[in-house]
Amino acid sequence: MAALPTTTKDLVTVTIDGKSTSVPKGTLVIEAARQVGVMVPHFCYHPKLAPDANCRMCLVEIEKMPRLQTSCSTPVAEGMVVKSSTSTQAAEARKSVLDFILANHPLDCPVCDQGGRCDLQDFSHEYTATTSRFKELKRVFPKEYFSPLIETQMNRCVQCLRCVRYCDQVMDVKALAPVGRGTLTEIKGFGAHELDCEFCGGCIQICPVGAITSRLSMYEFRPWMLKRTDSVCGYCGDGCQITFQTKDNALIEINSTQGSGRNNGDLCARGYFGYHVSEHSDRLTLPLIRKGDEFQAVQWEEALELVGQRLLDIKAKHGADAIGGLISGRCTNEDIYVFQKFMRGVVGTNRIDSSVRYGHLNAVHAMQRVQGTHRWAVSFDDIVSADTLLLVGTNITETNPIAGLKVKEAVKRRDAKLITIEALEPAIGSISNIANLAQHHLGVKPTGYATAILGLLKAVMDQPVLDVELQSRVSGYFNDISARLQAISWEAIQAQTGLTSDMFTQVAQVFDQGKKVVILVGPGVLRASGGFGMTMNLLDLLLVTGKLTKPGCGLAPLAEENNDQGAFEMGGTGAVLPGGASLGDPEARERVSQAWGRPIPETPGSSLPQMLEDAQQGTLKAMFVVGENPLGSLPPSSGIHSAFEKLEFLVCQELFLTETAKQAHVVLPACSYAEKDGTFTNTEGHIQSVRKAIDLVGESRPDWEIFSAISVMMNDPMEYGDVKEIGKEIRDLLPGTRTLGPAPLPAQPGSSAIAHYVTTDYQRDIGVRYQLPEQVTDTAGDIILQVSQSLFHSGKFSRKAKGLLQVEATGKLYMHPEEAARRGINDGDTVKVSNGLGEVMVPVGLRERIPQGVAVFPEHFDEEIRRLLPYHVDPETQVPYCKVARVRLEKTVGA
Amino acid sequence: MLLAKFRDEVEDILSRYPVKRSALLPLLNLAQREEGFVSEPAMRDIAKVLDLTPPQVFETVTFYTMFNLKPIGRFHLQVCKSLMCALVGSDDVVTWISKKLNITPGQTTSDKTFTLSVVECLGSCGTGPMMQVNDDYYEQLTEEKVGRVLDDLARDGTCPLKSGPYMYPLPLGKS
Amino acid sequence: MAKYETILLTNMGQPGYTGSIKEYEQAGGYQALRKVLKDMQPNQVIEEVKKSGLRGRGGAGFPTGVKWGFIPKDHPGPRYLCCNADESEPGTFKDRQLMERDPHQMLEGMAITCFAIGAETAYVYIRGEFRLGAKILEQAVQEANAAGYLGQNVLGSGRTIKIFVHAGAGAYICGEETALLESLEGKRGMPRFKPPFPATHGLYQKPTVVNNVETMANIPHIINRGGEWFSKIGSPPKSCGTRVFCLSGHVKRPGNYEVPMGIPFREFIYDVGGGMRSDKPLKAFIPGGASAPFLTPDHLDVKMDFEAVAMAGSMLGSGGVTVMEEGTSMVWAALRLMEFFYHESCGKCTPCREGSSWLAQTLQRIWNKQGREGDLDLLDDLCRNIAGRTVCAFGEAEVGPIQSSLKYFRHEYEALIREAEATRPRHKEIPVLSR
Repeated sequence: MAALPTTTKDLVTVTIDGKSTSVPKGTLVIEAARQVGVMVPHFCYHPKLAPDANCRMCLVEIEKMPRLQTSCSTPVAEGMVVKSSTSTQAAEARKSVLDFILANHPLDCPVCDQGGRCDLQDFSHEYTATTSRFKELKRVFPKEYFSPLIETQMNRCVQCLRCVRYCDQVMDVKALAPVGRGTLTEIKGFGAHELDCEFCGGCIQICPVGAITSRLSMYEFRPWMLKRTDSVCGYCGDGCQITFQTKDNALIEINSTQGSGRNNGDLCARGYFGYHVSEHSDRLTLPLIRKGDEFQAVQWEEALELVGQRLLDIKAKHGADAIGGLISGRCTNEDIYVFQKFMRGVVGTNRIDSSVRYGHLNAVHAMQRVQGTHRWAVSFDDIVSADTLLLVGTNITETNPIAGLKVKEAVKRRDAKLITIEALEPAIGSISNIANLAQHHLGVKPTGYATAILGLLKAVMDQPVLDVELQSRVSGYFNDISARLQAISWEAIQAQTGLTSDMFTQVAQVFDQGKKVVILVGPGVLRASGGFGMTMNLLDLLLVTGKLTKPGCGLAPLAEENNDQGAFEMGGTGAVLPGGASLGDPEARERVSQAWGRPIPETPGSSLPQMLEDAQQGTLKAMFVVGENPLGSLPPSSGIHSAFEKLEFLVCQELFLTETAKQAHVVLPACSYAEKDGTFTNTEGHIQSVRKAIDLVGESRPDWEIFSAISVMMNDPMEYGDVKEIGKEIRDLLPGTRTLGPAPLPAQPGSSAIAHYVTTDYQRDIGVRYQLPEQVTDTAGDIILQVSQSLFHSGKFSRKAKGLLQVEATGKLYMHPEEAARRGINDGDTVKVSNGLGEVMVPVGLRERIPQGVAVFPEHFDEEIRRLLPYHVDPETQVPYCKVARVRLEKTVGA
Repeated sequence: MLLAKFRDEVEDILSRYPVKRSALLPLLNLAQREEGFVSEPAMRDIAKVLDLTPPQVFETVTFYTMFNLKPIGRFHLQVCKSLMCALVGSDDVVTWISKKLNITPGQTTSDKTFTLSVVECLGSCGTGPMMQVNDDYYEQLTEEKVGRVLDDLARDGTCPLKSGPYMYPLPLGKS
Repeated sequence: MAKYETILLTNMGQPGYTGSIKEYEQAGGYQALRKVLKDMQPNQVIEEVKKSGLRGRGGAGFPTGVKWGFIPKDHPGPRYLCCNADESEPGTFKDRQLMERDPHQMLEGMAITCFAIGAETAYVYIRGEFRLGAKILEQAVQEANAAGYLGQNVLGSGRTIKIFVHAGAGAYICGEETALLESLEGKRGMPRFKPPFPATHGLYQKPTVVNNVETMANIPHIINRGGEWFSKIGSPPKSCGTRVFCLSGHVKRPGNYEVPMGIPFREFIYDVGGGMRSDKPLKAFIPGGASAPFLTPDHLDVKMDFEAVAMAGSMLGSGGVTVMEEGTSMVWAALRLMEFFYHESCGKCTPCREGSSWLAQTLQRIWNKQGREGDLDLLDDLCRNIAGRTVCAFGEAEVGPIQSSLKYFRHEYEALIREAEATRPRHKEIPVLSR
């Protein structure tokens, strides 16, 4: 957060419409007016954008200035006296501006989606006479198709240019352009081409009139018919505030109020256009029981009885640990809490895992080891006010776009220095590319992160020591790291990454000089082989430069799913109890078991990879899978198919009939986040309320209700009246950590945890972490295949959103145009991709931001190509690594 | 690629400005000089060289009247219609040309030789009525002079009546 | 006819003068630059120019030395000079002559200005239509580079002064200084709101001075002969020096004439310009380019200086004097100018963008004998709502012709409207089509 001025020197006193106030120097008159409750009408002004002063609507009278001044571009001066609503001159000016706008504005209100929430309507109502004096010809633009999701009607445009400025200054996409001159200016993309951009919906939200609207909800409503429900987006870990707009129990649209939430009112394509998932016709509406090869729809009684019965049977025959649970980070905190309480307290096993295992656990475990927190010690606000940002393996625009906006704001509006270590090349494309904004970009291949991080550490250790006090206190730690880094030569680093020692040295110097340094790390590292070790090394980097404990500095690992952080905190990962304490901690176990009135089982928890092995061995007989789709997420090389086939009993609690659900013995229909109350915890560790916006679809139920019902069937009832009860129980169990406020309270790095780490704990794995990974020799035709996230999708969940499918409906193998040219491949050609694990045919797309030697495929469409991915598991965290493979490309004849 | 053909000139243009985007107008000029209009591939090329998006290039192209987005006739006859030329008969010039070539402002002759436009002040008010044809000015037009210019251009592709360095009135001893 | 000593048009007035660097040097050129680099400090140059009373020759008439003085001394730089050669104001064509006939005069002025304000790079923003002018300037810059008057280590002084020619592409609004800077930055030529001013946040947000061609052309002479000498010419203390006025319209001898400021319009039009082209008397004239309101024969004795013309209700502006004879319809004249402004409006701010279209269409209607009662009051009202409410002075400019023609020639409008009203059908009749 920006520091508030504390001295009177920084404050200026102004009087607006008779009301006086003191505001910081540099405040715009329009902002100062708002603070005293005077709303100055405006079109082109927006707090997120640099002032443009083009609409002339915000003209006010300022004493001692000869003409009316635009309050959006005039900063306050000491003693300024401003008249806005008390000025007849200003009122006349506003009326005339509206007369001018209405001269060319069409009489579209009856068919305009903005009608009822339109700035032009509201101001006209306040300032204009009822008849227009305009008797000439209005300028008319021919109606053109703009894009599948965004509609333009340029006759309505007031040329405030907010959309263009937002797309440029906030999003850094620059897809919109004012075309032409004078009154014939209209907003277009590139010529007659369709709009090609990030489809964040920002232009729709920011347009004050109905010139830019959503096609997805076109003509479906009038604003006064809509019921609003404030909630949190269910897609990624950024946790944006959204408002569901519903009409007659149907989801009409989503928006986000300016200034609200961690996202400040900004959204991305998924948040803005991806809401139809909940209403997809494939939604499971009744429980299903497998009879032979088919499913039969049944009533809840029957299904719950069967589940309860079978679980009790298996528990009796093989022990509670023959049953395992897997829950998704898409569920609410309440769902996950009740699930793990059910599994531990009713079923009697700690064998639970969640989607945290797929990568986020690397981050949380590393933070726990080094700084003793499972949450960030920074927040989005610290990213915005950082002076130095290092992004490692994030591809942030596609994975966590709103966190990406914080980075963009820091760099573009506050001149922060940006260093990127990414598998990206700086290149202008139709979506923004964070590498373009970096002052220092180290481009690596997806297999090169570990070496690059070591290179940066080596260069930092070559610089004068920053935290001399720490170094003298724990010289062992410093010397150990230093010695190991010295044993790695610059030549070897360059051979593996193509980056020179000079590049690393430059970056090290910038990093060292930063006072407020935040490192963001994403799935490129967290899901890559050695991801845990790399994250630990990044924490080492903050330690040795003395930054880890300084305010405004820290590690910010980006969670992929909306409630991955919550899943961890609620004990969804078996070896961790609710609150983050280890299962092996006797005090913690005692406290939890007291609170529950039930004992916690003695046996250790297991990870999903462990459970798969046990299923193969035959020691795991049953699984209860909630919201996850491991058969659709893990590659065949993990052995998941044969493992699941061996299970005696598989229950899937789901929204849709996924691959895993198709194998289940019982399928229970759960409801989506739009149909229930609860909370999500975003990647910052901030807890926010999720609220029910539409009725439950069919017979689906909230997850926690189902667990509760099964517990009754198992004669060990664990009942809750409503979600609030669960919330209270959690709050009582974990006092002081469950505050719901406007902003997170970042955790403090614990000095004892750090002390323990730098004296003893680091030694455990420093050898493994500080050596160069083995180089795999390239063979002819080789290319690195990376399966990763696309901006327009999230998991397989988003494939049920009809809006998002209009932007991206299938997967392509994306590579650099020169890479393709070298292989004689053209855009749209089909290629055969193969390696020792299999082969597949895919179409090719060209993207300049993909480094050469790499091909990227979106994970949301990876049914076929997944077969080529290898699988191995992190030795410490058990996180499966299965996103990168070496493959051969062969051009096929014909497209 | 268009710009690859003129690499030296492009380098020279880029070297004149500390910020790449400033080279946009000169590069668009180059593209139009070469192709007769600003084509889409040219705009994409230029966007790439200057680290801009194609919409950013497009918005600038459409702001300035001298850039054509579509091919036009070989000779662009731009007759000034501003008040100062209108006072001395620019409307007549338009009529003469229209009659001779059988086109109205905005149109191109069927053999694609001449395109007629009316434009605003060209900075030649003392010697009006006048017109600009491609890079050259033709001033103090009469019906006869207009006819001569059109004939010369159609036949030779150039006309000796084009204006040299401007000076009016001329010093004594010069005609 | 009185003969006035020329300053700016002296060289080119010599028969056979081609404007090459050799001839310019022979005529005494580049002496001022030498003097400045050898004997003067930058602030001394600024003081000299302040003393001269030189005011901008582009239209706004801002004191040049004062403008230079606004450049902050402690800014780390870089600083820029932009020469505004976008001459697009209808009625103006003096810069074209200065550039095409004696390019080194203005280049020397620019080099001296760069020295004074501490700029190493200067751009001449020349309108795209002046292809010949741009070519001549480019050549002159090359000559100057080769001779060591421009480039690195100018005349052994250790200073760098680079001048580049940058052509526009057809937009009158780019003559507005902040729109010029936007256009030079490669964007759409939309003016910026002021403050901040170009002196502190100009080209690339760095301190920048924007000066007109004619202003630049005066600088070597001021250095050579002294600011005091200059300040005594013309109509001191507010309007010093000569101006190259552009005479056009219904006169015998249109063209560029350099005269000291302060001579009356009558002398300029009738003596210097040879008077009306036919026996029709003068009906109205524009004193300073299309942005300047019309004046009538009653104003012929007004002096051609900034103050006097302002007092008469118009502006000296760009110095483009256009004469209209009896028989010219002032409604038609206002319409022509309004069409120009409508065509050139950049579209940034609401009053000008929508207002120019509204005004032009209403005027067209009146001219086409479809005017109505109330149209004149409407025009008045619209003009009052545009002027003073816009981002740049284009707003004031575009209402000048209508407001002044309404003031002095309202009867012409009224006559057209009366004619229209007389022939307008009283009731809304549906035409009878079948018969």
